[in-house]
Amino acid sequence: MKKYVSLLLLLFAPLCTHAQLKIVTTIPDLKSIAEYIGGDRVNVFSIATGYQNPHFVDPKPSYILKLSKADIFITVGLDLETGWVPALLNSARNQRIQKGGDGYVDASTNIPLLQIPTSVNRGEGDIHIYGNPHYWLDPLNGKIIAQTIAATLSRLDPGHQVQFRANLKIFTEKIDAKIKEWEGKLTRFKNTKVIAYHNEWPYFEHRFGLTIVDFLEPKPGIPPTASQLTKIISIMKSEQISIIINSPYFMSESADLVARNTGGKVVTLATSVGATETIKSYFDLFDYNVDQILTAIQ
Amino acid sequence: MRILYRFIIVYSLCVALQAQSSVDTSSSEPLQNDAPIVPDAGSRIMPSTNPDISAIGDFRTSYGNQGPRNIEIYFNALEVQLSSVVDPYAEAKFLFSFGKDSLNGDYSAGLEIATLTSLSLPNSVQATLGKFKPHFTKVNQLHPHALSFIEFPVMIKNYFGDEGLFMEGLSMSFLIPNSWDIYQEVVVDIGRSATTPALDYGSGNRLLTTAQLNTFLDLSDNSTLGIGISGLSGVNVLERYTKMTGLDLTYKWKPVQFNTYHSFTWQTEAVMCRTDTSAGSYVRSFGAYSLFEYQIEKRIFLGTRFDYAGLPMSETMDERRVTVLLRLQPTEFQVFALEFQHANRNYATSVYQVMFRAIFGIGTHAAHAY
Repeated sequence: MKKYVSLLLLLFAPLCTHAQLKIVTTIPDLKSIAEYIGGDRVNVFSIATGYQNPHFVDPKPSYILKLSKADIFITVGLDLETGWVPALLNSARNQRIQKGGDGYVDASTNIPLLQIPTSVNRGEGDIHIYGNPHYWLDPLNGKIIAQTIAATLSRLDPGHQVQFRANLKIFTEKIDAKIKEWEGKLTRFKNTKVIAYHNEWPYFEHRFGLTIVDFLEPKPGIPPTASQLTKIISIMKSEQISIIINSPYFMSESADLVARNTGGKVVTLATSVGATETIKSYFDLFDYNVDQILTAIQ
Repeated sequence: MRILYRFIIVYSLCVALQAQSSVDTSSSEPLQNDAPIVPDAGSRIMPSTNPDISAIGDFRTSYGNQGPRNIEIYFNALEVQLSSVVDPYAEAKFLFSFGKDSLNGDYSAGLEIATLTSLSLPNSVQATLGKFKPHFTKVNQLHPHALSFIEFPVMIKNYFGDEGLFMEGLSMSFLIPNSWDIYQEVVVDIGRSATTPALDYGSGNRLLTTAQLNTFLDLSDNSTLGIGISGLSGVNVLERYTKMTGLDLTYKWKPVQFNTYHSFTWQTEAVMCRTDTSAGSYVRSFGAYSLFEYQIEKRIFLGTRFDYAGLPMSETMDERRVTVLLRLQPTEFQVFALEFQHANRNYATSVYQVMFRAIFGIGTHAAHAY
């Protein structure tokens, strides 16, 4: 009998010691950061892809299956995913990752938020009542997200706390080094005025010194109208603006129309990791966006 | 359609540009981004234990080619929903409906949904108790405001009434573990049925039971296939059993990158019904529908549905219906639908009907299941 027990222990011991934490994130940027911090201790799945609008993800049942087995769920929060995350979590049958559970991580914790509205009315479009939720587009906020994830991993897998801390240090140092490089590239173009399709770039704008003058959407979430495009054309001509920032999941017809009427350029920036095949990590995301802007301005 | 849409945009732009040229641009409206940028980590949370509250209005008009009163203009229903997590273990939902009686025109209030659903039972089990829509067929789960078309398919109306089937009781669902990582769910409901053409509340202890097996496959990043098999057993108005079997098939295509601009849905369902009428005798009937819906632009949907349905107490009476739909959704909070229907009943004259529906919602309404 003892022989069989020992054999079983030998068989299952490696599984126990090397069991990875299963993490589900809402967007691939959180996946990338979680992989940097968790290393080989985590197995991460992102629900949204990098070229998908994170406001509008279909809550497919296959995601429920992933969530039912997850140890950790990491969300952007601030109501960005309010149209699909509650439906998935309520069907996941997994108490660990419910709001308030050990494995529920709101990545917006400790983030200094921008554009917190003083009043909220649906007549103003899709306003996020807690503040603009696209905070991962400032790499310094990436450091805060990494700290939040590291704290959760350390709590749930204390045996590897040292590894998580070391990974956090490496990630933070790399961000600090890269941010100098990115800011250095764009410093000559500080305060360059641009137009954007949707109000999702305030953190990027804040970090890299661009000035977003107006948007193709007349109000957040409301598709461009003829009168809004006319107004934008007028603004671009009068203020000599030549760049229109589009996102991968917005069709470029409206931006192209404005560009044709003003001689401007449409630049499609990546909103998330995986937006193009070359953007494989959180660092690639900023490398790509900074290069795209540089190319457009020059 | 795309060409027409572009033409309208370009034409409107030209007209607006012309108008703009005569306006002093120095007095242009304030920019959208005038709101001050306020970095703030501390004051963003507004704690509240209030439930999510939403109200949804449903206004309709119709014209039909039959009957002495063939023009209808009416406010069909107001639905008020309250939902919230109760505690770490469960969530609750209440849905009240204030609907118009189609016969006398009076409004009456009713409780449609009142449920307590577990969030933390072990082994992938989820339990719901209260009043709810039982798991028989896919479309019966929906509330009228969530339907793609204005009305339920004829098979649902003929067997369960205009609003579909409701019951009071207990529902248990279970995710079936499998090595292929495929979503498979079994749901079993038991309780008392509301009175409908096929089923009755009943005076004895015979309860309504339903069971459904749902399988869901991701065919690709952009397309999915859902397959459901369901069964039902309950008491009918003759205090005998009615047994039904249902089959549903749903294919959805939505390009992940541009999922707000284009989509396609094909959904087909069929039910077979056996109504016991007396010892040793029964009536068999059948109902089915197939619908196609294509989103041609961000706000515009086109669809068509083909219906066939018998009646639970007749083997000979049936109805065939063709419906064509145009739906406009300015935002997710307003939906306008225009339908043309041709109904051909073998027990009455054919009916042509044009219907319009406006759905408008305020407040926080939870997302519907996929």
